[in-house]
Amino acid sequence: MRVVIVEDHALLRAGLVALLRENDVDVVAEAETPEDFLRVVAAHKPDLAIVDVRLPPTFTDEGLRAALEARRQRPELAVLVLSQYVEPVYTSELLASGGAGIGYLLKERVGDVAGFLDAIRRVAGGGTAMDREVVAELVTGRTATGDAALETLTPREREVLGLMAEGRTNAAIADALVVSGGAVEKHITSIFSKLDLPAGGGDHRRVLAVLAFLRAAG
Amino acid sequence: MADAPPPPPPLPKLPFAPPLGAVKVGDLRGKPGEARWRRPLFRLALTAVLAGFVAVFTVLLWLVSGLGGFWPMWVWFGFGCLFAVHLTVERTLATDPGGRTYVLHEGATASTIAIVLAIWLLDGSETFWPTWVIVTLAAALGVHYAIREQAPVFRAEQLMDRVDELTQSRSGALDVQAAELRRIERDLHDGAQARLVALSMQLGRAEARLGDDVDEQTRALIKGAQEDARLAIAELRDLARGIAPPVLTDRGLAAAVEALGKRSPLEVEVQAHVSRRPAPVVESAAYFVVAEALTNAAKHSPGATVRITIVGDDQRLQVVIADDGVGGADAGGGGLTGLRQRVGALDGTFLVVSPRGHGTTITAELPCG
Repeated sequence: MRVVIVEDHALLRAGLVALLRENDVDVVAEAETPEDFLRVVAAHKPDLAIVDVRLPPTFTDEGLRAALEARRQRPELAVLVLSQYVEPVYTSELLASGGAGIGYLLKERVGDVAGFLDAIRRVAGGGTAMDREVVAELVTGRTATGDAALETLTPREREVLGLMAEGRTNAAIADALVVSGGAVEKHITSIFSKLDLPAGGGDHRRVLAVLAFLRAAG
Repeated sequence: MADAPPPPPPLPKLPFAPPLGAVKVGDLRGKPGEARWRRPLFRLALTAVLAGFVAVFTVLLWLVSGLGGFWPMWVWFGFGCLFAVHLTVERTLATDPGGRTYVLHEGATASTIAIVLAIWLLDGSETFWPTWVIVTLAAALGVHYAIREQAPVFRAEQLMDRVDELTQSRSGALDVQAAELRRIERDLHDGAQARLVALSMQLGRAEARLGDDVDEQTRALIKGAQEDARLAIAELRDLARGIAPPVLTDRGLAAAVEALGKRSPLEVEVQAHVSRRPAPVVESAAYFVVAEALTNAAKHSPGATVRITIVGDDQRLQVVIADDGVGGADAGGGGLTGLRQRVGALDGTFLVVSPRGHGTTITAELPCG
């Protein structure tokens, strides 16, 4: 897995690089600005970019915009956005860019090394990794768009879908809800059928369900 | 319950006299219904009659005594002076207090000029020496007149300039404050928050390096430190969001209000038409009005539907937050008062309509000029 890190804060950039290298992740390049970012993506053809939302010059959302531009130029690039804030606006813009391989995590999740590495692998593999706070906010907020299919989900099924959006495995979901693995599978099958997702390619269906949920909620 | 804004404070009294047109100047006829002898004109007539008698008497005395030189003219002159002083005093007293200084000056000038002319006539001088006296006195009166007429206008202009200055400096101060808050938010982000994230990362790496032989207490300490770092980051995040919400800075009011709507447990419908981004200070005032209104609605009317309308152009920004909840909001409550002050500081208007049982509508209108 070839990774580029886009972070203007030297301390955090060095920390990230060290953390990833210690765990045998191939960090091929680092960038501090949106321009550098696009240049290293073109030069190094990475699988994954880990991007800070705030980059120079205005330190608002340049990182997010650059990530969207990088994906436009190189659609197979997976993007994991790191932010100090949960902003549904940002996540929905990221999701609206289409495709898979998207993640949005609060920066402090990096402290949980195993969880962070897991999220990186999932996103690089075409999955999603949405911060649990993002998911929590999306679940609290009502679905203003009123997606008809999502409306038919039971509260429990929405809960399961939210946990899927965080990127949790069936076993982890079962643990979180204190139910059996079989019960989780039943819920997931029901979600797939309610959302009218085609059978076959389990992971793909999972991603589609999560995306449908996040897009409707975000 | 419509809540009227407090009345504006009374204008301060001008230290300058009002213009002459605005005061009643020397009406010698006195007030209607006043006793005759109290009227200035009557008293003046009395002086004139007395002067007339004395004039006639002195002429008779001069004729009888047969003394050479027509000396009674000096007596007449004396009584003329007396009459001039009396007229000046009466005219001054019959003037509104605001105009007395000028009327007195006018009377004194006219009297002095008359006296000087009389002296010139009486002493039979060939050259007309009173020219300079008259010119000087008239010029002094002219200057006084000009000051009287111009001062209030000048003062009003000064006050208007001052109001402009204060309006500008206040909005400047508010802009500076908004910029300062954003700077603090950015400093928190780049400073303390970033360091805490780095700390949490290092703790994570340290934990990952711990071998299996490490005792549970050490592991628990590192876990605890990590949890503390995480909480500190979360607290700083909430603090920063309360100071200057990043999405407001980045995406403007409509997006930030949409985000608020999504966070709210209520069903929130947002309609926004803002043709131009208002100044940051106006934007954040509008944002906090919406945030507070939504918090109140969620607290008092769970299950309500909220409709938010934002309309803005170059001139003004109007935000309306209407819910169909329980109503009966206390417009004098802490939260709403704070919003009213915040909007008022920007010369905006803030209205809460909340009849019991019929929902609450909060309207804030902010000038954007």
